[in-house]
Amino acid sequence: MDFCRRHVKSDCEELLSRFRRTQSVRFEIFSGIWRDMKFASIFYGTMFHEKRPFARLVLDIASCYFLPPFSFQIRVGGLYLLHSLYHSQDTVPPEQIRLALKDWEEVKKFERDAVNAQHFDVVFILHQLMSCKAIHFTAMPTLIMFPKKRKVERSVLCEDFVERVARPQELINIDLLEELSNVHELYEKMKSSVTSQAESSSMNLTHKDLTSRLRGAVIDFHNWQQTKNGVDEEEVSGEGTSSQLESSKRAELLASIKSKAFGEAAEMCKSRRHRQVEVDHPVSEEESPHPSGRSRISKPSLRARTAENIHISGEVWKEALSRTTTSSLSTLESTAEEKPKKIKRFKWR
Amino acid sequence: MAASEQSSVPDTDIPDYEYIGVNTKPFRIGSVRDGWLTRLRPKDYSYQQEDKDTFEANFAEAMGISEETMAELRSVCSLDSLRCHAEDELPDTEVVPPDSTLKTLIQRKKRQDHKASLKVNKNRHDLYADELERLIVGRTPKTESDRIPEGEIILTINVYYPAVFEKFNYIRPHMTLLMTGSHNLTELRDAICCISDLQVCGEFSRTPDMAPDFLCKDHFKSAFFFFEGVFYNDMRFPECQDISITTINWAKSHNFPPFTQAKMEDTLLQDLKLKVGFPYLYCHQGDCEHLVIITDVRLVHKYDCLDKKLYPMLTHKHKVLTQKCAVCHLFIARWYTTSDQFAPSDPCLFCDKCFRMLHYDADGNKLGEFSAYPYVDRGALN
Ligand SMILES: [Zn+2]
Ligand SMILES: [Zn+2]
Repeated sequence: MDFCRRHVKSDCEELLSRFRRTQSVRFEIFSGIWRDMKFASIFYGTMFHEKRPFARLVLDIASCYFLPPFSFQIRVGGLYLLHSLYHSQDTVPPEQIRLALKDWEEVKKFERDAVNAQHFDVVFILHQLMSCKAIHFTAMPTLIMFPKKRKVERSVLCEDFVERVARPQELINIDLLEELSNVHELYEKMKSSVTSQAESSSMNLTHKDLTSRLRGAVIDFHNWQQTKNGVDEEEVSGEGTSSQLESSKRAELLASIKSKAFGEAAEMCKSRRHRQVEVDHPVSEEESPHPSGRSRISKPSLRARTAENIHISGEVWKEALSRTTTSSLSTLESTAEEKPKKIKRFKWR
Repeated sequence: MAASEQSSVPDTDIPDYEYIGVNTKPFRIGSVRDGWLTRLRPKDYSYQQEDKDTFEANFAEAMGISEETMAELRSVCSLDSLRCHAEDELPDTEVVPPDSTLKTLIQRKKRQDHKASLKVNKNRHDLYADELERLIVGRTPKTESDRIPEGEIILTINVYYPAVFEKFNYIRPHMTLLMTGSHNLTELRDAICCISDLQVCGEFSRTPDMAPDFLCKDHFKSAFFFFEGVFYNDMRFPECQDISITTINWAKSHNFPPFTQAKMEDTLLQDLKLKVGFPYLYCHQGDCEHLVIITDVRLVHKYDCLDKKLYPMLTHKHKVLTQKCAVCHLFIARWYTTSDQFAPSDPCLFCDKCFRMLHYDADGNKLGEFSAYPYVDRGALN
C-alpha cells in the first residue's frame, strides 16, 4: 500500500489546508469542504483485496493530524477527518482508528480544551467515535515491521499546521528553570570548591545570570509574538460561525491556555529575583541563548540538542521536561532544520 | 471519556519508540493492558455498544446543553453531511471516478489503466487474501466460556520463513498470527507451520505405510524462542533437550553478556518483555531458524473474532508454488523416487495414489527396483 502513501497524505493536507484557511473549528465548515472535494470518493474503485489495507493506510495517515505537534485547529480537523473517513470506508467490519497508549494524555488534554472552549461539535464527534467503538486501543500508533519500514522515507511535517506559538514557552517552563537554577548553583559551588582564586577569569565560561536571561529571552519572544502574530493568533482562536461575543470569549480562553507557560515563567522570575539578591555569584552557562546580541543558535537549536540529550540519557531530561511533550520533541526533528531559521531572523535584543 | 479523569502518575512502562517507525523500547506486553484498563472506563472497551439515544442524552447532560442545542448538534454532525453526491444518485463505488481532483484517485486510475493494459489476472496472493478475509469476519463463540474476555490483549505476530531456499523478491515470505496475552509460548510454537517439521527421513519403498509415522516434528521436539536475552525452551516432553545451552555456554566463554533460560510452556505472552517491531528468533529442528516479530499489541475489540477456540488465528500465509505429480499433474507430490524404472525421469515426483498404483500390486507388494522417499512439498502447508 505504500505506493499511494504520498498521495493520500497530500490529499489530506489539501483538505486540512482549506479548513485552516477558514479559521474555523466548526464541523459544518469541515463537512462543507469534505463534500466540495468529494473526499468520500477516495475509497472508490479500490480493488477488493486492497480495500482493507487502504482503509488502514488512510486512517493511519489521518491519525497524525489529530495529535501534537499540530495546532488545536488542525487537530480538530484531524479528528473530523478521522470521523469522516471512518464512516465512509466500505470495509466490513470497518478498519478501526488506532490510538496509542502514549498519546492518550494528549487526547485527554485536547478534549479538556475543547470542553472548556465549549466546542460542542468537537467533543460530540470525539465521544461519538468512542461510543461507536471506532477505536483500537493500542501499544503503538501503527503496526511496525522492522525489516519493511527501514526503506520508508521520513515523512515531512506540514509546517503550516504546526502551532508555533508556545514552543519556547513550553520548553522553558517553570520546572526547567527551577532545575536549571539548581544545576547552576551546584555548578558554581563545585567551581568555587575546585579553584582557590575565586576571580579566575579562565573559569568564567558561563553567564552569571543564566536563568533570568533565559527567562527574559522567552518573555521577550512571547511579547514579540503577541504583537507580530496578533493577526495569526485569530486564526486559531477566532472562528467563523459563532457570534462575536462567543468568539471573543473563546479567544480569551485560548490565550489564557497558551500563556500558561509564560505565566509560570513570570511567576518564576519573581522568586528567582529574590535568590539573585542573596546569591551574587558570577553565574552563566553555555546554554544561554546568546551572549552578545548576535544569535548563537545557529549551530544546533536548543531543541535539537535537547532531543539529542533525551535520546542519550533519557530519564533525567524526561523528568525535567515532563511538562512538555517529549513525543513531539522527537517527532519534530524533521523540522528542526527549518524552524530555527524563523527564530534566527528575529533579533533577540 | 469525559468522566474518567486519571491523574497522570508517570507510568514508566508506556511503550514508546526506540527508533521511530522501526521498533519500540522493551516493555512488558501485559503493561499495555494494564495501562489502558486504568485509563479507560469499562464501557469504553466493552463489546456492548450503547444505543444512540442513550449516548446523546448522556452527552447533553454531561455538557449541560439544552435539547434544542442537542438537536442542532445532531443534525450538523449527522453522517448525511458527509455524503458527497445527491441523495437520489448512487455512485458506483467500484469504479475510480475519472474526473476527481484527489491525487490518490488520479494515481489509482493510472495504475488500474496500466494493469488493464497488461491483462494480468489476479495473482494467487490476491485471491488468497480474499480467503482469509472470509475466515476472520464475524466469528462469535458458541458458549460464553469460549468468549475472549473484555479487556484482553491481542498480539499480531509475524513469523518469517528461513530465507535460504526462497528467491529474493522483496516480499518476505511469512505467516501472520493473532494470539491473546494469555496464550503461552508453546501455543505459538505449535501454531508455526514449517515444512521442516513435516520432513520425513529415510527410504520407505518396502513399507510405504510406515512413512507418516516418522515426521520430524514428533522426532526432534526441542525448540526455543529467543527474546531480549532469554532463551525460552520447549521442555514439555521428556525427549526435549535444552538446545540453547550450547549457545549460552559459548557466550559465557566468550565474555558476552549472560543469557538466561526459561520454559516455553510456563511463559505467557503477556509476561514477555520485548520490543515491538524488533526481530527475534525461533529455532527448531536443530537449525531451522525463523525471525519472529511482534508487530502489534492492542486491546481486543468487538469486531475481532471473539471465539477463543479459533486462536492462535492465522490471518496471513505466504503461498508457494506446489510441485505436482509427474503422472496425473493434478495432485501435490508426496513421493520422491530415484533409480525408478517406471519413472519418466530420475528423480521423479508422484502423488500418493499414482505412486502406489504404479509401484505396488493389489496386495501392496513392491514391483520392480526403485528407491522411494516421502516428499513434503513446500506448498503442502498452503
Ligand atoms: Zn522451520
Ligand atoms: Zn498423480
